[in-house]
Amino acid sequence: MESLDLRGGVEVSAVKLMRVFHTVSFLFAAAVTLLAQGQPVPGVDLSGYWTGAMHEDALERGAGPELVDYTGFPINEAGRLWALSYDPSRVTLRNHQCDGYIMPYQVRAVGNSRAWEERDPHTQRLIAIHWWHQTFEGHRVIWMDGRPHPPAYAPHTWMGFSTGTFVGNALVVYTTHLKQGWLRRNGLPESDQATVTDFFLRHGDHITYTSVVNDPVFLAEPMVRTTDFYRQPSDPTSWLFACDDGEQIIGRAPDQVPNYPMGKHPFLMEFSKTEKVPLLAALGGPETMYPEFAARLKTATEAEALARTRPSGAPQNSRAIDPTPHDGEIHVWPVRRNVYLLAGEGANITVLVGEQGTFVVDSGTGQLTDKIIAAVKTLSGKPIQYIANTSFRPDHTGGNVKLRASGNDPSVQGSFFSNQFADAGVGATIMAHQNVTNRMSAPQGKAPPTPSEGWPSDTFLTERRRTFQNNESIELFHELKAVTDGDSIVAFRRADVIVAGDIFTTTQYPFIDLNSGGSVQGEINALNDILNRTNYQHEGEGGTIIIPGHGYVSDEHEVTEYRDMVVIVRDRVQALIQGGATLQQVRAARVTADYDTRYGATSGAWTTELFVEAVYNSLKGGPAK
Amino acid sequence: MAGAGWVLAVWMGTIAATAYAQGRGGPPPTPKAGAPVDLTGYWVSLVTEDWRYRMMTPPKGDYTSVPLNPAGKKVADAWDPAKDRTSGNSCKAYGAAAIVRMPGRIHITWQDDNTLKLETDAGKQTRIFSFGTATTQGGDWQGVSTATWDRPGSPMGFALGLGYRGGPVGGSLKVVTTKMKPGYLRKNGVPYSADAVVTEYFDRLDVPGGDSLLVVSSEVNDPAYLSQPFWTSTHFKRQADASGWNPSTCVAE
Repeated sequence: MESLDLRGGVEVSAVKLMRVFHTVSFLFAAAVTLLAQGQPVPGVDLSGYWTGAMHEDALERGAGPELVDYTGFPINEAGRLWALSYDPSRVTLRNHQCDGYIMPYQVRAVGNSRAWEERDPHTQRLIAIHWWHQTFEGHRVIWMDGRPHPPAYAPHTWMGFSTGTFVGNALVVYTTHLKQGWLRRNGLPESDQATVTDFFLRHGDHITYTSVVNDPVFLAEPMVRTTDFYRQPSDPTSWLFACDDGEQIIGRAPDQVPNYPMGKHPFLMEFSKTEKVPLLAALGGPETMYPEFAARLKTATEAEALARTRPSGAPQNSRAIDPTPHDGEIHVWPVRRNVYLLAGEGANITVLVGEQGTFVVDSGTGQLTDKIIAAVKTLSGKPIQYIANTSFRPDHTGGNVKLRASGNDPSVQGSFFSNQFADAGVGATIMAHQNVTNRMSAPQGKAPPTPSEGWPSDTFLTERRRTFQNNESIELFHELKAVTDGDSIVAFRRADVIVAGDIFTTTQYPFIDLNSGGSVQGEINALNDILNRTNYQHEGEGGTIIIPGHGYVSDEHEVTEYRDMVVIVRDRVQALIQGGATLQQVRAARVTADYDTRYGATSGAWTTELFVEAVYNSLKGGPAK
Repeated sequence: MAGAGWVLAVWMGTIAATAYAQGRGGPPPTPKAGAPVDLTGYWVSLVTEDWRYRMMTPPKGDYTSVPLNPAGKKVADAWDPAKDRTSGNSCKAYGAAAIVRMPGRIHITWQDDNTLKLETDAGKQTRIFSFGTATTQGGDWQGVSTATWDRPGSPMGFALGLGYRGGPVGGSLKVVTTKMKPGYLRKNGVPYSADAVVTEYFDRLDVPGGDSLLVVSSEVNDPAYLSQPFWTSTHFKRQADASGWNPSTCVAE
């Protein structure tokens, strides 16, 4: 009487039968309801412990790849030249020592992986799938709840921002906001502009993972790779990957970045000769991944390969997306604590809010100042008390007059200053290095380039100006002869945010204006000064937040890559100058060819040609003191 | 009460049959008609992994990452391509356990309602995937391959044959191959034996706004020469036509 046999072999009680009936009905109703609601039925459950099968590319993924082995990688010329300039000693630099792996490379690494689901405790709907990888402790979150991707001015991370959906028997994931990293850890780069579509397929205890990397900066075609994981029955209990940077090479000058001169890779032929792979194949490119290339293995010449180790063709424009919104609106992004980014007005604007009043860094072009004022009011009811300018440039100071007029500085009202200035406390106080005021104003009797109401009145002449506002330590550091002679960075110490001004952007080569007192060496020094003030939270990312003059919210990794670029370009130009090259010859050498698809411009206010010219003239005049 | 179980069984069967009929429209389809995914067409391999082992013939004795046991290593170390050529075994690297790793193009078609055919231009090989009873005898390079559709599971929806709401359910082609003539996992004589069993999953992945990819996940089990399963996954890009199709004979070198 206790057992149920639907084949009818055993007598069943009416009560038991009703229970079964109800159960079956419930299950059927649940299935129909589930489908009616459109809730996707998971096609793949990744939960569990996984280990990568190292049966493909084992040497590369384990011990590490050999230099100049780019076989089968659909890189473009910029990607190849970038890789050829990569000296592996670069990882001895403090800011590179703990560089994590970007997501598409992370899955190729050795080590254990663990996947688990995050579900809403009330509805049990799937919110996210988490994937933890032991190597570099990569924690990837795949959002399954339909949330949108962040705006283009949001930070980038090693794992990027991923959203997923089930399609048939696959989990399909789309990832944006990746940091620059490696396609292969012999210097083959993947840019911060790459997006990835990946697929997880599960067949029993075997996951086949497919990644499709689209990188407009360094790839000529999508890079497709497949990776196998097999299930571990129990917890491998090994999940960490400690990394802490330290001194690797004592006494190295801070402006040195290990790199190989263009066209002079010292180990160019090593892999080719050792493995008997034609150099043309070793240098990669989309043709090397297609079957037809097998025929070229017998006909490829060294001469045609060597031609690929130097720039060819016309200068390239940046293929990066513009992270600045151009919709005529001001967009607010919470940075950390009470610090916010306002994007949409040309140069980035940073706002610190609090009980004392609002502290604003830079004021934009002046086109959308009313909307900036409105945006600030949504963050704080207090008036704008201070405006700090990182530069005199119009896209950083254009809103000074209106923004100043909208605020007031109660700290000077009723003080001794009240008796000295007729307008004390009227409007916000503008602070900057004295050279900013000098360039915005003019000697008596001459017409100033900007109205006096927008001039910084609270200026400093030495390297540091400090203040304490809204429970925040604020420091302005003057960076000597960087992109101009008046540049400052602004550090919010408690929030651990640094506003870099035009010393660092994610959108273009540094706008080094020699006529305004800038210099390439000063720019390098300024970038290193920023890096001397940063820390990372974990595996080389997070920690100190850097707000660039233009571009997306960054951390020290982006500044480090940018610093590397300026140093490498300087080294190349310097070497050519030492060889007697003229400016025309330096231009013809295309010393920025591996960076042009990321930062280059052939038209506009700041072209690649102008940048190279600035570096050349700056070096011809001698490095900045 | 003894008949109550039958009543319940009939009720459930009716529901399932009704649902199946509603979802599928009639009697069980043939494997071709019921295919959850279209794998047919021309596909070109994208050699982005193991390049040195696939585009070229690696040196003798280089069996890096293949879990060979001592017996397997002994055979690999004795590789003699000239002997393969003279003994009519030039196609040893083009057998079912390794043919998809060859750089080249494959062409997949339905031979009939129950049989898929995979042809390769590299080595001019033909694999027959039989749903149900195999039509080949084996003992050759490609052996005997049985095929099934591996559909995504769901505890209720699919048990009742409902499928996904509003679209195809997707799925994989699962192929199990046995009775192969001994061959090579790599062109440099890394062996598999006649006892090897190859289990493959063929999946089509449509990249939103991009290419269609074919991914072949392969597991080779060989009690004679492998100490553990050998896993690889190989990817192809779909072509609109037969462009580049270049049939070539097997080469042992």
